[in-house]
Amino acid sequence: MKKKLLSYVLASAMVLSLAGCGGSGSGTGTGSSGSSGSTVSTAPVTESGTLSYTTLNLDEYSDFTASIKFVHHKTDREEDGTMASMIAEFNKEFPNITVTTEAVTDYAEDSLLRLNTGDWGDIMFIPAVDKSDLATYFMPLDSLDNLSKELNFVSSWSYDGQCYGIPYMANAQGVLYNKKVFADAGITQLPRTASEFIAALKLISEKTDAIPLYTNYAAGWTMGAWDAYVGVVSNGDDAYMNQKLVHTAEPFSDPGDGSGAYNVYKILYDACAQGLIEDDYTTTDWEGCKGMLNRGEIGTMVLGSWAYAQMQEAGDTPENVGYMPFPITVNGTQYVAAGGDYNYCINAKASDDNKIAALIFVKWMVERSNWCYNEGGYTVVKGGANPDMYAAFNGCEVMSDLDALAGEEDYLNQMNAESELSINAGGNAKVQEIVEAGATGSKSFDDIMADWNSRWQNAQSELGINVLY
Amino acid sequence: MKKKTNIREWLRSRDGQRVLVIITFMTIPLVLLFVFTYLPFGKMFGYSFYEMKYTGARKFVGLKNYLKVFQRDDCFKALKLSLYYMVGSLVQLALALYLATVLSFKVKCGAFFKGVMFFPYLINGIAVGFIFKFFYTRGFVFDTVLQSLGFELENLPYWLKDQSINNWSLVGTSVWRYFGQNMILFIGAIMSVDSDLYEAAMLDGANRFQQFRYIIVPSIKTIITLNVILSITGSLSAFEPPYVITSGANGTGTYFVIMHEIAHTQQKVGLASAMAIVLLAIILIATGLQKIFFKYVFRSGEDEDINAAKKREKKLARYIQHQRKKQEASGQ
Repeated sequence: MKKKLLSYVLASAMVLSLAGCGGSGSGTGTGSSGSSGSTVSTAPVTESGTLSYTTLNLDEYSDFTASIKFVHHKTDREEDGTMASMIAEFNKEFPNITVTTEAVTDYAEDSLLRLNTGDWGDIMFIPAVDKSDLATYFMPLDSLDNLSKELNFVSSWSYDGQCYGIPYMANAQGVLYNKKVFADAGITQLPRTASEFIAALKLISEKTDAIPLYTNYAAGWTMGAWDAYVGVVSNGDDAYMNQKLVHTAEPFSDPGDGSGAYNVYKILYDACAQGLIEDDYTTTDWEGCKGMLNRGEIGTMVLGSWAYAQMQEAGDTPENVGYMPFPITVNGTQYVAAGGDYNYCINAKASDDNKIAALIFVKWMVERSNWCYNEGGYTVVKGGANPDMYAAFNGCEVMSDLDALAGEEDYLNQMNAESELSINAGGNAKVQEIVEAGATGSKSFDDIMADWNSRWQNAQSELGINVLY
Repeated sequence: MKKKTNIREWLRSRDGQRVLVIITFMTIPLVLLFVFTYLPFGKMFGYSFYEMKYTGARKFVGLKNYLKVFQRDDCFKALKLSLYYMVGSLVQLALALYLATVLSFKVKCGAFFKGVMFFPYLINGIAVGFIFKFFYTRGFVFDTVLQSLGFELENLPYWLKDQSINNWSLVGTSVWRYFGQNMILFIGAIMSVDSDLYEAAMLDGANRFQQFRYIIVPSIKTIITLNVILSITGSLSAFEPPYVITSGANGTGTYFVIMHEIAHTQQKVGLASAMAIVLLAIILIATGLQKIFFKYVFRSGEDEDINAAKKREKKLARYIQHQRKKQEASGQ
């Protein structure tokens, strides 16, 4: 009897759970089929025409009613209340739009999984999807032509002239330094060339106790960060990194005018060879170095601008942390490479009302929330205010790398893999090799560069990529 | 006739039940073994003939990947590093055997020492890596300890920077981690030796070393062989210490670390698969050689080796000769 009862209970539970599955399944099914119809008929029409970022006038929608969900990766900002206070600000202007947020810890992977379910929410940050798939997942925000007149760095998630993402902030590539150490060493003007930079490091080592240049050798990826200066920074050419590099015969040869990848890495080699780095580079400590830079125990570190805020937070003297352009001057101009961080995007399968509300929210976040500024990001809005940390960047030419030419998108990846140099793709070992060679004198810098050149050329002939430059 | 026609009947019989139980119990482990071990291995073997990444098109290249493994100077240079780890594993086994022998007799706080020495094995390998990263940092734990013993910091080497000793530093961490485990295995085996044998040996006048040499070693030779084989193959595939502590930089990249770099950073999956297959072959050869070696060493391990018998016979002959001479002398 007891057994029978149990089996009834189990069976009914199963039936109920099955019904539950069916219910939710059919729900999403109809939802997605309904909305996919709307994506075919392009963007929903609003009072002022078709929905697009540039034509949307925020002030017309103050009483718009909708409820949207924003999925993002900034768990730290979710926890410290920044996100909630931004949404409270948003609701002052748009009281009837309810925004719920969800911070995902393992964003890069989880977001991809959610993306395929279709009903993940209305706004998210674009994960690593293929550009050709952008239209299936996301709503076009505007044409690239219109958008790029108002915003920076919007080309990275564009396809067929349409833009699908807008970065919430942008990063610039420069060098972290401690202002007090520079002052103590008597460096009044920031170095603009490699030789000035090495001279400054020497001054630091002579006049202060600070480590002139902290390599962060042991962490590995911090060494790979040196690759970020190969493109725009080293030669002022925004087409170089993604278009010309693969077709260049000798990318690591000395151009003779203090520019080029050769001189980027030579700074590191020279600093190591002249003992201007930490005593024992094999035991560097990434977490520890933040406080050391903050306290003035480290003079300079070569890292992207994203590291700036972390260095400031790591000690009691955030005002001493400074950021300067990379010390390479091309024909009298210093170039800065900048690029967008994660990009906002809007679900193509959302309802029309939600799409409008989502676009309102995105536009408000980009233009009125000040989030980018508060995060220490380089401005996304053209002509927008930059945080003080970029003061030293005045007079520099800010550029972002152009995309690869059509049909050649895979070339750089293939070349990186074949040559095993992995430029900007985790090629940490090759930069570590420079430090070892410089510090121990086991190999001359020109030998290393010649070796890289020959690896590059072998890869070109192996892959059949023609040499143009 | 009835048996043949009625399968249900047969399944209820004793034989049928036995077959049924065997099949049902074996299916799941065998499926797991196949799906998670043999199938991936077969796939990897297949990959080793292709030029491929994780995504994208594959190109069949035959034995080119294998040729590359032998042509590239970083692959086999990395195998040389295994020699460091092999030397280390021999030291580790000697230390473990010594301590196991001492601790399997009555020692004050024996259990405590066993626990202390086994403890490192329980720590996660990554954590061990981080511990030793700070342990070897200039002016940190190790240097401080040595300084308190009277060493000057200027005279101490850079444990991880100096390429002539950094591999020994890494080997040290792996000895520290694994010798406790070897020791426990040895203690377990030594415990199973009949204690009457010690008593009998003592009566015959055998000292501790002779007891060790003639009672303990022959009795635990299977465990010794096993431990040596595991340590040698383990040292061929050393990975965690160099990967975590130095990330394979500065001349510490072992075969496994190089393989990982090629497979995941350079995305040359075919080449890395070929490297794995070559390593498997090397390990199989090494294991075979060791088996032959141990067959030779323990050939007459049950009693004593041939040389000893020969020596004793010689001694006996000399003694008899001596006696005879004495007799002759006394007879004259």
